[in-house]
Amino acid sequence: MFVSIENLSFSYANTKATALDSFSLQIKKGEVISILGRSGSGKSTVLRLLAGLEKPSVGKVSIQDEVLVDDQTFVQPEKRGIGMVFQDYALFPHLTVADNILFGLFRMKRSAKQTRLQEVLELVELQGYEKRYPHQLSGGQQQRVAIARALAPNPHLLLLDEPFSNLDAELQEKIRKELRDILKKANITSIFVTHDEKDAHILADRIVKIKNGQTEFIGRPCDLIDVYRQEKQSLPAVSEEKELIYT
Amino acid sequence: MQRRLANVNIWTVTAMAIIAALFLPNMTIVTGLFTPSNENWEHMKEFVLWSFIKNSLILVVATAGATIFIGLSLAWLIAQYQFPFRRFFKWALILPLSIPPFIGAYTYHGIFNYTGVIQTTLRDRFGMELNPSHFDIMNLPGAIFIYTVFLYPYVYTITQVFLSQQSASLIESTRLLGKGPWRTFFQVVVPISRISIIAGASLVILEVLNDYGVVKYYGIQTFTTGIFQTWFGLGDIETSIKLAASLMGFVIVILLIEKVLRGRRQYSYSSTKVRPLPLIQLTGWKAVAAAGYCLSILALGFFIPIAQLIEWTILTFGTIPLDEFMSYMRNSIVVAGLSATAIIVFALIVGNFARLVQGRFAKLLPKLTVLGYSIPGAVIAVAVVTAFVALDEFLAPLYQLAGMNTTLVLSVSIILLITAYIIRFFAIGYSSIETGYDKIGTDFQDASRLLGAGLTRTFLKVDMPMMKGAIISGFILVFIDVLKEIPLTLILRPFNFDTLSTKAFQYASDEKIMEASQASLLIVGISALAIVIFYKFLEKEMD
Repeated sequence: MFVSIENLSFSYANTKATALDSFSLQIKKGEVISILGRSGSGKSTVLRLLAGLEKPSVGKVSIQDEVLVDDQTFVQPEKRGIGMVFQDYALFPHLTVADNILFGLFRMKRSAKQTRLQEVLELVELQGYEKRYPHQLSGGQQQRVAIARALAPNPHLLLLDEPFSNLDAELQEKIRKELRDILKKANITSIFVTHDEKDAHILADRIVKIKNGQTEFIGRPCDLIDVYRQEKQSLPAVSEEKELIYT
Repeated sequence: MQRRLANVNIWTVTAMAIIAALFLPNMTIVTGLFTPSNENWEHMKEFVLWSFIKNSLILVVATAGATIFIGLSLAWLIAQYQFPFRRFFKWALILPLSIPPFIGAYTYHGIFNYTGVIQTTLRDRFGMELNPSHFDIMNLPGAIFIYTVFLYPYVYTITQVFLSQQSASLIESTRLLGKGPWRTFFQVVVPISRISIIAGASLVILEVLNDYGVVKYYGIQTFTTGIFQTWFGLGDIETSIKLAASLMGFVIVILLIEKVLRGRRQYSYSSTKVRPLPLIQLTGWKAVAAAGYCLSILALGFFIPIAQLIEWTILTFGTIPLDEFMSYMRNSIVVAGLSATAIIVFALIVGNFARLVQGRFAKLLPKLTVLGYSIPGAVIAVAVVTAFVALDEFLAPLYQLAGMNTTLVLSVSIILLITAYIIRFFAIGYSSIETGYDKIGTDFQDASRLLGAGLTRTFLKVDMPMMKGAIISGFILVFIDVLKEIPLTLILRPFNFDTLSTKAFQYASDEKIMEASQASLLIVGISALAIVIFYKFLEKEMD
């Protein structure tokens, strides 16, 4: 397997409750995985653990048989070769679009840097925006810069945290399709976290559903629908989500 | 927990070292308490300690009361009412902070004494024969007056910022419930601003306890003057350590009282949408009275002393050789610049450590360094000298190896003075840097690390540029504090090393108050400029 996650568990400091309990997942190269769950379900914790921003209490993660974390090893986030698109993008406000994207390429030669910059700008269709600053871009453009920045160093794995939560409803529809195209074009293995089932169905090859730190379901989007049919509940998750948002 | 604990690295080690270096010297004071007492101390305890305590208490209580009254009333006027020149007064009322109290003290003495402008005018113009003792301000009430007019801005700024952030509906609902402006003030405004009033007043109190210049010049016996006398008059450092420890005890009691008064209360906005207070237009005599009140406070705390300093400067211009004067100025700027730079660098390191580390104990560590600001300069001076002499003894073999025939190297160098400044003013720079880190959060750092940048590269390329505002404002605040500083500088400066403030103080102490005016005016000018820049900058940031 390309990415192998075994038995990953985590609990936050000063609390006894486990945020994530024995999470396991095998991912093939090029696969797009969606982790689906409500806020507080532990879905974002998975991303932070994979990125190395948190340290699991137990568990093992490896990419291409290289161990990133287990009992003995902890590879620092900057050495993992994992890219991440943050929920609020975290674009460096003091740097231009070009400098944001070039930030992760500091080990490359100058000419190689420029070529790569143009490649990823083309991928996200933002050629000509190099000199802009993040605050001069729309929400959708900012997100594409964030994706370009994360993809530029050629990571093994791309993580996206709630990629659509900061966009208005109309834009979400459009960006979902764009994102799917970008991910497929780049042929990158990716995991994105969302609370919206629609996102997961449109974008993902496989869906992982998490509730209270426990894995509820792993399978293809169509399998998830079958599960609901079997439970004789007509897509309850949609109304559940509404509850969550409005309360 | 161990989030990022895997990074036990150069950052953690450096931060711990800085915290220890800033904190440990103060511990030498505590150990001094347990050394056997000598006869000087017994004598002090019997005869003068009580008067130190009494005088310090009177100064602290009266000054706190007066600054709260003036600071709060001004803050309320500015926050709630519209009257002529309100916008000007809003920032100008901070200016008295640019005049160090000891400069204000000798300036007012010069205005009031027998040859001063008031008595000569009354004598020559109006032919009045006056009893000079009616004009004597070199006593406790005089010192209280000086502290009040130059320190009230601490209460004023903190309370004014707090009040202007309050939701209009809070005040309006009080009005609608049938309370007039006076009742609103006492039943709503005073209680809700309690925390900011206490915060401002404790800064005033710490400044008063730290002060040496005013009480020395006015001949009032307090802890600080006592520490100086026993150390330099009697050459008895053990007794001065004991005095310093008593003063530290005094400060700790005050800090505890502050904690209790603050309690668990934390008033914050009850709704997310804060509509600013609409200003009530004052008309007629009320408007004149409001503007007149602001103007008279500002005149006492800024214009009158400045006018006097300018007059003296003109009268004595050229009496101090220019190159001598330039060297004082250079010294001042160099030590203030070096200390401010060191403090900001250390604060950046400790602040970065504080936000990366997890766990209650580790989070508490950086707070220790803030203690320095609450410890009076004279106490820090005693502590730092004791620590440096011990360090020199430890290093003595090394000095001999290097062919020096002295055992005191570090403790007579400028490093001693700068170390003391760093310990005393670290809190000022740190609070600015800490706010800066809070504002940017950890997302940018996480993003940077996932793009392959290590902690150090992240710090240089991401954190530092984003913190520019916090770095500049922290630097300015520390810089002017060092510029104005007097007790530490007097005690710890190397032989023949003078700054603008020590020179001003010496001239004034030698009754050459006119000659003191040039250095003073320069200190005030630089500080006032820095304060104006700082607040304009802050206002822009807040928008």
